[in-house]
Amino acid sequence: MAAKGEKHSPLEQFEIIPYSKTEFGGYDISFTNSSLSMIITVAVITLFLTLTVNPRSIVPSRMQLISELMYNFIAQLLSDTVGDNGKKYFPFVFSLFMFVLIGNMVGMIPYQFTFTSHIIVTFALASVVFIGVTILGFVNHGIKFFTFFYIPGVPFYMHPLLIPIEVISYLSRPISLSVRLFANMLAGHTLLKVFAGFVVAMPFFTGALPLAFIVALTGLEILIAFLQAYVFAILTCLYINDAYHLH
Amino acid sequence: MPQLNPEFFISQLFWLFVTFSFLLVFLWRISLPRISTVLNKREKKINEDIAEAKELQAEAEKIQQSIEDQLKKAHQETSDMLKTSSTSFQEKTADELSKIDEALDSKINESANLIEQNKNESLLKIHENIKDITKLTLSKIAQFNVSDNDISNAVKSAERKIN
Repeated sequence: MAAKGEKHSPLEQFEIIPYSKTEFGGYDISFTNSSLSMIITVAVITLFLTLTVNPRSIVPSRMQLISELMYNFIAQLLSDTVGDNGKKYFPFVFSLFMFVLIGNMVGMIPYQFTFTSHIIVTFALASVVFIGVTILGFVNHGIKFFTFFYIPGVPFYMHPLLIPIEVISYLSRPISLSVRLFANMLAGHTLLKVFAGFVVAMPFFTGALPLAFIVALTGLEILIAFLQAYVFAILTCLYINDAYHLH
Repeated sequence: MPQLNPEFFISQLFWLFVTFSFLLVFLWRISLPRISTVLNKREKKINEDIAEAKELQAEAEKIQQSIEDQLKKAHQETSDMLKTSSTSFQEKTADELSKIDEALDSKINESANLIEQNKNESLLKIHENIKDITKLTLSKIAQFNVSDNDISNAVKSAERKIN
């Protein structure tokens, strides 16, 4: 029970709490709840993928099968969208998918911090993808990469309009990619917190109703957690594909 | 909104870089090669097993083919044997039948001859008896002797009339 007069904002859960004050070269690199969440995520992924596959059995155990399914899921995704060129980027896309997926899932655990609900984190991830793909495009096509913004088969007088649109849509890729994940996580967790506030605020046993809602919403959030990781991975694949095949 | 507070941006970027780099390198160098080795191993094993199964199937088909061939051959042989034995049997029975026919014919002929002979003998005997009876009757009743020749002529003419 919240003490009287104490204010509980639904956004309070996104507050970053530093556990120790660390500075490096004048920059604050304190270990925070966000960092802890990231470390838990990475630990879960590495331990799971290592321990389950450790027996290297031809007939897999259930846990080993999960690891293999995830491997095949991303491998299939990459080969469907990019083709044979995509094999080189498999470790990156797989890491990205697992990082976002398990990050979202760790965030679903009560009292756990969701680092994917912070725009700076998702924007950094999206920027890595965007910058990487742009470099890849220039490496593959050189100066011809700019023809990416030129849409063939369109009347010539349309180009002054279309080329700026194409450039803007290309440049907004990191924003759309990062905001999509950030906004989904933010909205989902805020909604859960709002309903949790109702459970406490409503009189007698009527609080059971929003509680039931929370249970349903948690299921939905787990679905969204997976879906957003999938969307992040598939868009990365599509951007890589664009860097190979301009049009 | 805490997300827009730049106070911890550098810290978050730093820790993101550290954790994600570690994850990427770890997965790339350790986890993913392990999984791919297992998958390759399994695929190899499956392909080998399929190849072996195909080989065995081909062998089994060969064996089945040879069994079918042998069966066909055996069928052919038995039907041939049946055919030859039935023809030889028919020939034998025909032989036997003709032999029996011949034997029967000869026996019939013999019997006919015997009957003819007996008939002639009985006729002769009848003639003799008629002759004797006539002679005796005539001699007893009419005290009249008749020669044998007359009697036999009379009998013969009577016979002709009957016939």
